[in-house]
Amino acid sequence: MEAKTAKTKAGEWRKYERVLLPPIKDLHRIDVYEANGGYKALKDAIKGEKWTPTAVTDEVKASGLRGRGGASFGCGLKWSFMPKPDGGPRYLCCNGDESEPGTFKDRQLMEYNPHLVFEGIMIACYAMSISTCYLYVRGEYADWIDQMETELAKAYAKGYVGKNILGSDFSCELIIHKGAGAYICGEETSLMESLEGKRAYPRIKPPFPAQYGVFGRPTTINNVETLACVPLILERGASWYAGLGAAKHPGPVLYGISGHVNRPGVYEYPTGMLITDLIEEVARGVRGGKKVKAVVPGGSSTPPLRADMIDGVTMDVESLREAGSMMGTAGMLVMDEDTDMVSWLRRVTHFYHHESCGQCTPCREGTGWLEDIVSRIERGEGRVRDLDLLADLCSQMEGRTVCALADAAAWPVRYTIDRFRDEFVARCRPSHVAVPALPESELEEAET
Amino acid sequence: MAESGHGKVVKLPDRDPKPAFSKEDLVFASEEKKRIAGFVEEYEKPDGAIMKALWLAQEKFGFLHPDVIQLVADEVGIPYAQAYGVATFYTQYYKNKTGKYVLDVCTCFSCQVCGGYDILHYLEEKLEIHKGETTDDGLFTIQEVECLGACGSAPMLQVTNGPYVHHLTREKVDALVDALQNGQMPSFTSITLPQDEDEMGGNRRTDVDKTEAYRTPPVAETVE
Ligand SMILES: Cc1cc2nc3c(=O)[nH]c(=O)nc-3n(C[C@H](O)[C@H](O)[C@H](O)COP(=O)(O)O)c2cc1C
Ligand code: SF4
Ligand code: FES
Repeated sequence: MEAKTAKTKAGEWRKYERVLLPPIKDLHRIDVYEANGGYKALKDAIKGEKWTPTAVTDEVKASGLRGRGGASFGCGLKWSFMPKPDGGPRYLCCNGDESEPGTFKDRQLMEYNPHLVFEGIMIACYAMSISTCYLYVRGEYADWIDQMETELAKAYAKGYVGKNILGSDFSCELIIHKGAGAYICGEETSLMESLEGKRAYPRIKPPFPAQYGVFGRPTTINNVETLACVPLILERGASWYAGLGAAKHPGPVLYGISGHVNRPGVYEYPTGMLITDLIEEVARGVRGGKKVKAVVPGGSSTPPLRADMIDGVTMDVESLREAGSMMGTAGMLVMDEDTDMVSWLRRVTHFYHHESCGQCTPCREGTGWLEDIVSRIERGEGRVRDLDLLADLCSQMEGRTVCALADAAAWPVRYTIDRFRDEFVARCRPSHVAVPALPESELEEAET
Repeated sequence: MAESGHGKVVKLPDRDPKPAFSKEDLVFASEEKKRIAGFVEEYEKPDGAIMKALWLAQEKFGFLHPDVIQLVADEVGIPYAQAYGVATFYTQYYKNKTGKYVLDVCTCFSCQVCGGYDILHYLEEKLEIHKGETTDDGLFTIQEVECLGACGSAPMLQVTNGPYVHHLTREKVDALVDALQNGQMPSFTSITLPQDEDEMGGNRRTDVDKTEAYRTPPVAETVE
């Protein structure tokens, strides 16, 4: 046991004490949140001498916090891209769209600790001199939006949000925006278009949101979980945060584990957990004592890993990249040995086909073709050469579109086929017409 | 000339002889107008309010008939074409009349491998309709939807853009359909975090009536 612990970058994770979702009854209520030190970091930031806006940004930078929305981009660095205030409006968008298949952690954070999210938002707005934040939540989370509206009204009433926060001259509005069912709205520029009351077509970058964001004004977009880390960083210090989990990708993470495990759910542990620990110990192993066949580490866009590829792999950007996948949203799907990877991939391609916004031809047409061809193979009507066709299609889609949805659609196809090729070949129709060799006379003719 | 038809005023047939909503019904109450005005305040340009206004209209009228979209566009102060474009971009806005209860069954990703299709097919057989259709009594519409962000409690479904029903089994589907036939919407269910169960002996919230714990998902019979 001890030796195993020493290997993980997560350190003594069995003794880990949760900070994003600490074990406190009714923490979602503002009085309980306050009684447990809530909104203290905001008070310190706004009232204390120590925290100028730049100092807050520097502290976040020093903590090594990386975005939890999928791209794992440095949070403090992103904040520092915001231009100097020019007196006009500036925006923060808190991304609670959470539509990446396999991801269900932001919802639990919004239900169980909404004030931590609000506090993080307010500190971020203070650091970037922002006066309006939109919390964009997917429309399906209607019940959770209602509950957050109730708590938000209390935060307004107590002066943590709104005009002259805590008596200072810093004012900031927080508006919850309810989506209406579109995966693409999680993409940052699409989210901005949606806020502007348009069809949510992603924008071409550059210009980047920090220059030209919501209504053409400087904007920063951060995930819900990313912003929830901010009050903790101010309270406990950047070095505490940086020392938690994997060195280059530190901090607490909400791992959402689903699929064929005995105990699925959202678990809070540091980054750098061994995938095998997460499956075997945290989620109590694969149900029915079966073997693992594949693991998708961070939502449907991240390439699946075969069981023999996960040994020693930890949940952080570096280790996963080396293993041939990505951290994504840390929404992990575990599939047992009986899983039909062809059918599974067909459903994944269906998702991206359904969710493509249709702006770019390679994506609009490509996602449809991916679904059609994988479906053909699933029905047993495909040919082995279709696998090459799929790989070719993926190459035509990757990096040629306005947003990353096309890449996200292509990666699972490319890597699932690559890593489970035998299964796909077995599903294809055998080639029963052998290619005849050319007679020698014709060969000579062709050469001359 | 008149005999050959030229110069005669041709009376076109009524564009919509049976409108979905009468002129009297197709209005916002002053309370609703006030709420929409409040939404407009929240954005730099009025356009931003369109999504919230469409939500409000859908709750009132049931679905977004073109006439309803026109009404919303006028209230928000944006062109009809833009409002129509937004209304048709998102899947949760209903463009056609639906059943009283819309059952959105997730068959995506995690739900697929944990029996989402079993539930979808069972519902289709039980209600004798295909996905996308509405029962003759106008009570139920079934839809197959993409990931709803509750993958750990798969298979699951959502009732009419509202409450989630987790950990579905055939028995649970039967009970749900029975309750809905009696006009009873499922209540909000809080899913207990596994670590809360271990460290606090149950759900951390004391203000919800219904809680469920994460549990081992069923074995899927079909994956389509
Ligand atoms: C197709 C697509 C969908 C996305 N969906 C989400 C999402 O649902 N939630 C989210 O936080 N980020 C999502 N992202 C990532 C965002 O574009 C953005 O990088 C992120 O919200 C930034 O926040 P972070 O730096 O805190 O991670 C998506 C990206 C793409 C390309
Ligand atoms: S890549 Fe796909 S989803 Fe993204 S903008 Fe282009 S068509 Fe739309
Ligand atoms: S896959 Fe069904 S809720 Fe996520």
